[in-house]
Parts: sequence; structure tokens; C-alpha cells
Amino acid sequence: MRYRVKIEVSLKPGHSDPEGETTAKSLKGLRYPVETVKVSKVYEVFLHAKSLKEVQRHADEMCRRLLANPTKDNYRFNIEEVK
Amino acid sequence: MTSRLYIKRNLDFELSEINVLDADEKELLQISSELGVGLSLKEMKHVKQHFSKKGRNPTDVELQTIGQTWSEHCCHKTFKGDIVTAKGKLLVTNMFKEYIAKVTRELNLPWCLSVFEDNAGIVDFENGYAIAAKVETHNHPSAIEPFGGAATGTGGVIRDILGVWADPIACTDVLCFGPLNYDYEKLPLGTKHPNYLFKGVVAGIGHYGNNMGIPTVNGAIYFDESYVGNVVVYCGCIGVLPTNKFTRNTMPGDIAVLAGGRTGRDGIHGVTFASAELTKESEEVSRSAVQIANPIEEEKLKRAIIKIRDRKLGSAITDLGGGGLSCATGEMAHRSNCGVQVELEKVALKHLGMSPWEIYVSESQERMLLSVKEKNLQKVLDIFESEDIEATPVGKFTGNKMLQAYYRGQTVAELDLHFLYNPPKARRVARWKKPNLIEPSFAEPNDLTHDLLKILSSPNVASKESVIRTYDHEVKGNTVLKPLQGRYGGLSDAAVIKPLSNSWKGIVISCGMNPNYGKIDPYWMAASAVDEAIRNNISVGGRRIALLDNFTWGSPEKPDRTGSLVRACQACYDFAKAFETPFISGKDSLYNELRIGPDASNPVTPTLLITAIGIIPDIRKTVSADVKSPGNLIYMVGQTYHELGGSEYYGLRGFLGKAVPKVRTAQAKRTINAVVEAIDSGYVTSCHDLSEGGLAVAAAEMAFSGGYGIQLNLGSVPRARNMKRNDYVIFSESNSRFLMEVPEKRREQFEALMERNVCSAVGRVEKNKRLSVFGLNGKRVVNASLGRLRDAWKSTFGGQK
Amino acid sequence: MKKEDINVCIMRVAGTNCDAETKRAFDDLGVKAEVVHSNEIVKKRNLLDYSALIFPGGFSHGDYVRAGAIWAKEALAKIGDDLKEFVEEERPILGICNGFQVLVEIGLLPGFEGIAEYPEAALATNTPIGYHCSWVYVRHENSGKCIFTRKVAKGKVLRIPVAHAEGRFVLPKENENRYLEKLYGNDQLVFRYCAENGEPANGQYPINPNGAFHDIAGICNPAGTVFGLMPHPERSYYGWQLPDWTRRERTLTYGDGRLIFESVVEYLTKKF
Repeated sequence: MRYRVKIEVSLKPGHSDPEGETTAKSLKGLRYPVETVKVSKVYEVFLHAKSLKEVQRHADEMCRRLLANPTKDNYRFNIEEVK
Repeated sequence: MTSRLYIKRNLDFELSEINVLDADEKELLQISSELGVGLSLKEMKHVKQHFSKKGRNPTDVELQTIGQTWSEHCCHKTFKGDIVTAKGKLLVTNMFKEYIAKVTRELNLPWCLSVFEDNAGIVDFENGYAIAAKVETHNHPSAIEPFGGAATGTGGVIRDILGVWADPIACTDVLCFGPLNYDYEKLPLGTKHPNYLFKGVVAGIGHYGNNMGIPTVNGAIYFDESYVGNVVVYCGCIGVLPTNKFTRNTMPGDIAVLAGGRTGRDGIHGVTFASAELTKESEEVSRSAVQIANPIEEEKLKRAIIKIRDRKLGSAITDLGGGGLSCATGEMAHRSNCGVQVELEKVALKHLGMSPWEIYVSESQERMLLSVKEKNLQKVLDIFESEDIEATPVGKFTGNKMLQAYYRGQTVAELDLHFLYNPPKARRVARWKKPNLIEPSFAEPNDLTHDLLKILSSPNVASKESVIRTYDHEVKGNTVLKPLQGRYGGLSDAAVIKPLSNSWKGIVISCGMNPNYGKIDPYWMAASAVDEAIRNNISVGGRRIALLDNFTWGSPEKPDRTGSLVRACQACYDFAKAFETPFISGKDSLYNELRIGPDASNPVTPTLLITAIGIIPDIRKTVSADVKSPGNLIYMVGQTYHELGGSEYYGLRGFLGKAVPKVRTAQAKRTINAVVEAIDSGYVTSCHDLSEGGLAVAAAEMAFSGGYGIQLNLGSVPRARNMKRNDYVIFSESNSRFLMEVPEKRREQFEALMERNVCSAVGRVEKNKRLSVFGLNGKRVVNASLGRLRDAWKSTFGGQK
Repeated sequence: MKKEDINVCIMRVAGTNCDAETKRAFDDLGVKAEVVHSNEIVKKRNLLDYSALIFPGGFSHGDYVRAGAIWAKEALAKIGDDLKEFVEEERPILGICNGFQVLVEIGLLPGFEGIAEYPEAALATNTPIGYHCSWVYVRHENSGKCIFTRKVAKGKVLRIPVAHAEGRFVLPKENENRYLEKLYGNDQLVFRYCAENGEPANGQYPINPNGAFHDIAGICNPAGTVFGLMPHPERSYYGWQLPDWTRRERTLTYGDGRLIFESVVEYLTKKF
């Protein structure tokens, strides 16, 4: 089975997000009524696996081993079967 | 597209025959435009004639190859063409040969090892090492996509250095934008706001240099209204190589190895795009002409190439730049009097379904072409593999002086290299009319402090610290004189690099550029740029200077643009020759015009960048511009004239003026020699050249960079007899002038050395942290604390307080 | 170990770019150092042939995902066992800039309980945002645990340049104070950004160039044998590299960065 895992890695609350702050400032400068901006990173991972459960296990591991640093990052993902 | 003109061959891949044989003049131009090859009618007719003799039509691969090879970007038609007057009288044939290369040829200096031959100029350095230098323009791509355009500009010029087997050790960048506060409403359709371009270009340059670990050490940022829609991006790179490892000797039988990134559709038609004016559609249609940068790939490529060089496993090398593989293979074969056979299906691709012509002209980044003897092939491939670089043999060099390309066994191109490298000579009409200008008249202000503060904060003078800090200027640990020097982020006239760990000899890198003077007279603009680049270099202790020229001009098809180009070229010859500073490399970017109507376009203000590469025998003798010690004397070397045409001071009042700074070579040469001697003798503790903002700005910069005050007396400034106003003396921008700090105990020796020169003590360094200047009548005309001056200087773009 | 028997491994991967000047520092001290591609170490499995390991600065693998992350996970996966042994034998490991980011991502720093399964700290995007290249002052805070600063007196202020976009040292918010106490308790704190006179930066830019928590510029592991720092000591090795060397009557032969390289060489000659 072929799956697409969409993984989003975002900053944990409480950690400063200079990229978001700078973007917010810039958008405000263009006169949009922006309050805050949060930046996160999205990875689309395509892989083959036997079951949804297996994909879940892989995805969780990928996040913990490489894509997120638990000191500052949260992660979440959703899985979709694709052709 | 008319099917009569394009005959599709019945094959399992895309290949068309272009029916030029049956095409009339209108159709020839239609073909040129529809295929995006950018050939003129004269050139298309030349193609038709050539193929008529052969009795066949060209393929799309062939016509595309011709279009790339004959583009202004690749073959510099204007510089190598005939220049005639409006009445048709021949002014000059081949400006490149007659003005630029002539300097080098006539000077015939033994330390110029290879000039105008390769991707970069090469001069001798030390202990069997040579310096390679190149400066590129990347204006058009940066106007469309500033980040990608500037990044690939940097990547491209670094590959030019790799393309002469040199290890890149430093980058430079000179950028020109429209005013950052330009009114959004006034922005011409299809152009990007200067502020957006500024941020993108700066980020792009930093991205590439920082990632590759090459320090960005010298540059300038210049603002002018004419750069709205005509952004200028000059990227330079300096490298070193062991002289005996340089080889350029492709032989028949050698293998053509393509290494680096994969080939994709990015950057198709970059050169024909760079050789055409930007229109409001450019933004949409030209995106595919912008390439994607991958500095890490190039870093790996660099490691592999240096290893191949050191083991002497390659017979020649060149980078893939404008025109992609078509130009690289053609040039490599042509310059060694060989032919070449390329099998296009062997080229590693990013995506499937590319047609042979796309593969051949793609300008995907981070690719190099090497010619390798068959016996060394495996070793070369192994080295690339050890750095995780894809490398593929894609063809073979032959003895038949033909460029032959195949795809899946079919011949898709067969071009005579003699034909390909002898395009019809371009003919340009030149007309230069002296603009009708006058000197302004206004009352002399009593106090000049306010004017000085305003000039210090004007965009062309203000500190660019906030930009410079985003560039790694320290990586490699060889930056002796940095772009930000001293305790207060003060400025440097030039950068000094110490490239070899076993030698104290250094490379001195500086530049000169005065677009504003060109509005008065491009001849004196060019003279001033040459003088400025040289005196910046001299100021820190540089000498034995080689020059690089970079022209950014408007369309050469318009006589006034070409007219001013000719004048600038004449000055390049006159002054480089007089200063005995040979040109070793250069590049021109023409067609910098923003179309604003069917028959109207705004040209870029003619912008000549002169880069100077000097050497200093012992970097420990380098002199920086910040004043060192209270009590020391301040000398002014060089004569001040009533030359405020194009000056910052006039600009402040909205005037251009007429009296543009000139260069008096006999006097200037004496000055330069004396300055070098004084520095070598150890008499000088700081030195700064006088440029924009004249004496006032130079003295202010020296003072606030060093943290000590300066007191000056204008009455002692050596000046022309008609100089009777304080503001003119203090803000004149006359060339060939220096301020030098000399300790009291060196006074006699220094003055003896300067005896035959225009030189006089004009003030002293003071403990008191103020700049005070006393006017011709003894009254104080400038009085400001260093903090105020430094704040003004850093107020425009920011910087560390 | 005799000085001539020392063999330093300066490891590199794609994007490493401060290896040559790091090697030059050891060359100058008369110590053998080799720049080795990680592929070669993986192939030969010879990490343990070296007496010290350096992760130099650069943009390893383009710093994609997070600065240093890809190299870190690759090293763990491919030479993790050798790396563990290296650490356990108390052979020194130094990470400079990108190398510091790698050591944190590997879990070697702060490394409260040996190699952590997941990073216990991070080097986040600078505040203010962006790449920043400048000279900074750092105060030596270590009481003697860190073998890389044994030649530096406690409280001494060193001048070394930084150049990075991701150098803001942070700890998990939920454990921030506890971890900081541990860093102090274990004598793991090595350098903090400070003013020229040694006063703490207190987060103030540009004295603290990246917004690092507690002005932290460099830390070591509890054993003091693994050390990471954002500033580049190899760029402050010679006197002529200083930003104001032209202001001195007599140019200094060496800069402050040299002390770090001297310290590790001394440790190696004494310990092994």
C-alpha cells in the first residue's frame, strides 16, 4: 500500500518564533490586520507499508528521531492512502 | 506556430527541423522570436545562407545552439562589433580589443599569466601560486526573482573560478537599487519594489556565500532612481591556484565529463533573456529562466575539482553557465582546436520528457564540464563519487572541428565550429552629445555640520553594516582587513586576504564606481572609477594592481547608449594604461532597459564597476582607515579642485552640476607611488581615500571609526586657486586624494618623502571626541561629536551602536 | 600520550566548510590532524583510531530540517557505537558552531545521563532573526571540569567571532530552571556572552548575538570531555585575525581562540 504522510512540525508554545514575529511585522506593515503569525514546517512523506498501523509507527519515529527536536518542537501528522 | 516553418521529425522523441530555407525575412524573425533564440534578422539570414550551402535546414538543437552562442551574453557582439557614427563613419572595430585588451597587450606585464582567455583572469601571486579573479553581472534574473537571481549569480561566478582550477577564497558584491522609499504608486507595471529586490538580493548573496563557506569581503550598495526596474547585481569571486596545476589542453580522444547537479528545465534561455529588455510580461514569462541555487552541491563539486586538479587528472575544465552544455562543449572544443561529439541521452536529468534541445541549452546550476584522458577517466569518476557527486561521460573530443550531438543514435546537431564561433559582425551606431548642464549657484552656508550629517546618512554614503553582518566575512579565517574594521564597525577602503599559511603576502581587493558622474560625462565617470578602485587599494597598502571591468548599460541598439559606452571604454584604455594597471577580465550586461511604452524605455544609468586586485608584500603592514592616536598629524595628499559635478553635496540640494571630477594622471601616479612608499616605510598609522562627500566625509569616517576626534584647517588644504568657498573645499570630490595619519615623530621623514607631491598637514587627531573644522577665514564651520556623526552614518540602514 | 602521537579527526560531510582553518590550528600547535569525510569513517570503521574528534563549522547537508540534525542522526545511525565508546573513554569531542548544533542533536550535549535518546536542548533561530557575523565577548564560567578551557582562568573574557543563523541556545520550557541548575551543579557551563568588561549580556542584543537563554555560548558534558560552542575559536587563533589588530603598536601573535586548542592538546598529552 502506498501512503502519504503529511507531517507538520511547529514550535512549542512559549518558545519565541522570530520568523513568525518578523513575518507578522511585515504583514502589519502592508496594513493587514494581523495579530500573530506562527511558522511551521510541513513535510509530505510518501512510503509503502503493509498497514496503517505500520505507517503510524514509522511516522511517529521519523518525527522523534529527526524531524522534530522535542526541546522546542511539537509535531503532528495525518496519513492518507494514495495511488 | 506555423507548421510550414517547423517540420517535426517522426521519431520517438521531440526533434524538429526549422525550415529557414523557405522562410522570408518576416518569417525568419518570427522563427527567432517563437523559438526564443534572440537572433537578429542579419544573423538569421546568415544562418539561412550557411544552411543553404549545406542544402538542408537546421534542427531545433542546432538553431538553439547558434542562438545561445551568438547571444550578447556569450559573445559580446557589441564589444566585438563595428561602431559607426550616425553618418556611417567607422569609429572603432572591436572595442574590446581596441580599448580593454589593448591596455594589457601594450603593458605586457610578466605577472599577467592568463587574461581574457578563460572564465577568469589569472595573475601571479607567490610561492608558485596564482590569483584568479572574475566579476559577473546577474541583473536580469535578479530583477525577476531577486533571491534566486542573486544566489545563482554568486554560484555562477564561483564556478568561473573553479573553471580555471582555482580554489575560491573570497567573494565581492556590488549592488544597485532604486530608492528604498520609492513610491509604490509610481512603480512601473511588472517591476518589483526596490525594497523587495534589496532584501531578496542581499539574502540570496548571503545564502550562497555563507553556505559554501566563502567569505564575502568587499562590495558596495548604490541607489539611483534609474535602477527602478533595472536592478544591478555584480558578483565577484577571487581564487588561488598552484600555477603548475593549471591546464587547458583538450586533445582529440579526451572524454567529456559532465559533473554536478542534474539537468532540468530551469534556466532555459537565460542568456537570450539576459540580452533582451525587460517588459511588463517578463515577470510571468521569464520565471523559467531563473535557476534554483544549491550551494551545498557546489561545495562538494569544489572539493572534487580541487582533488582532480591536484592529481592532474583533467586536461581542461569549464563551468556551465550561459548557454549550458551547448556553449561549454563548443567552447572547450573550439579553444583547443578540437571537435566534440555529445550523446545527449547520457546527461542525467531532473525530470523525464526533456527534448534534446532543452537538454543541450538548459542552464541548471552547479554543473561543470571536464575533459579527461581516457586512462584517467575512472580515477576522475571515483573522486566525484567520493564526494557524492554525479558525474557522467557524455561525449568525446575529436579532431574534426565539428560540434556533433546525438540522441538515441540519431544525429541531432552537426555544426561547423568555425561557423559557430564567427557570427556576423554586429554594427552599432554611436552618438554622444554633451548634456547641456550648468553649475548651480547658491549661497554658502555658514555652518556645514548639518550638511555633513545629511551626507553621512544619505543612502550612498551611510554604513551598510546591517547588510555586511548577514554575510560571513570571516569564514576560512584569512580575512586580515575586514569590511567592518576597528572597534566601532568602521569602514575599510579595501579587503585584505592572507591566502597561504606559509606566506605573509596578501591579496588586496577593492572597487570603484561613480554612476552619478556618468550623467555628466561617461568618460570621466570611467576615469574616476579606475582612480577610485586603485586609490582604495593603495590606501590599505596594495600595489601591482590588476583591474576587472564590468559594464551595465542600456540597449546598444540605441545610439546614445552606445555613444556613452564608447566614451567609457576610451577612458578605460587611457587611464588603465596611464596607471599601468592591466585589465585581466571583464563582463558586460547590455539591454538594461525598462520598457514603459511601445516606443519608450528607461535605460539604466550607465554603471561601470572597476574591481582592483592588488597585493601587499606583508599583511602586517596593512593600514586601516580608523585614526589611531591623539596628537598624530593628519596630512592631505593630492590637490582639491572645484569639482562638485555629480557630488553628494550638490545632490543634497537637488543639483547635478557640470564640473565633474577629472583625473590628472601624471600627478596621480606620483601621489600613488609616494603613498605606497610612506606605508611601506611605516610612517602611516591610518589612511583613507577621499570619495563621495569629499574631505568632510573621509575625516568623519576616520574619526568615528577610531574613536578619536580630528581638528582640520581648510586653509591648509592644497587646492586650486579658484577655491574660495569652505563648502566647496570640504565637499569637492576631486580624484586621487588621500588623508593620512602620521605620528609627530615621523613628521620629517614623511614630509621629505612627500617633497615632490602635493601634500600638506591639515590637522591633528585629538583626544576630544569631536570633529571640528576651521574654515578658510579661521571660523569654525563643522563641529559635531563623534557619537552624532556615527549615529547619522548608521541611522539609514542600522548597525551596532 | 606524546604530542607526536596525537591524531585528531576533523570530520566533514557535505556542507562542512570550516575544516581547513580548524586543521590549521592543530598544525600550528605541531599536532597531527586529518580532515576525513564521514563516508570514509563509516566505510573503514576507524573512528577509534583517533585521539580527538572535531565537528567543525559549516552548513552540514544544507542545514535542512534543523541545523546539524541530519548529520547528527546519520552519525548516530552509522557510527553510534564507536561514538559512544569514544565518549566513554573520555576522548575529547569538540563541536564548533554547526558542530555544536550536531552535538546537541546527537544528544551528547548537555548529555546529563550520557547520550540522550532525544535532544535535551536546541539551537533555535536567532533573535533578532537572520544570519549574524560579528565579534563577541564570552566569559569563561567553568570551574575546571571542561578540558577544553583548562588554560583559561575562570572569569576571563575571551574575544571570538560568531557567524550563524541558528545559535539561540534553549532548554525545554518545562525543565528550563532544573536543567540550568544541573548545568551549574555539574560544572557544565563554559561560556556566556558578555560585555567587554565581563558583565553579563542579560539577553541584550548585540552583546548576546542570538538571544540565547542565560547568554549561553558554550557548554560541556558532565565529564567535561565533550564541548560545543557557537563562536569560532579557529577564527580567533592568530593576532592578525582580530578586528582591531591594526590599532596595536605591535600585532599580537595569537588570539584568544588558541587557548581552546592548546587546552585539548595538553589534556591529551597528560591523560593518555
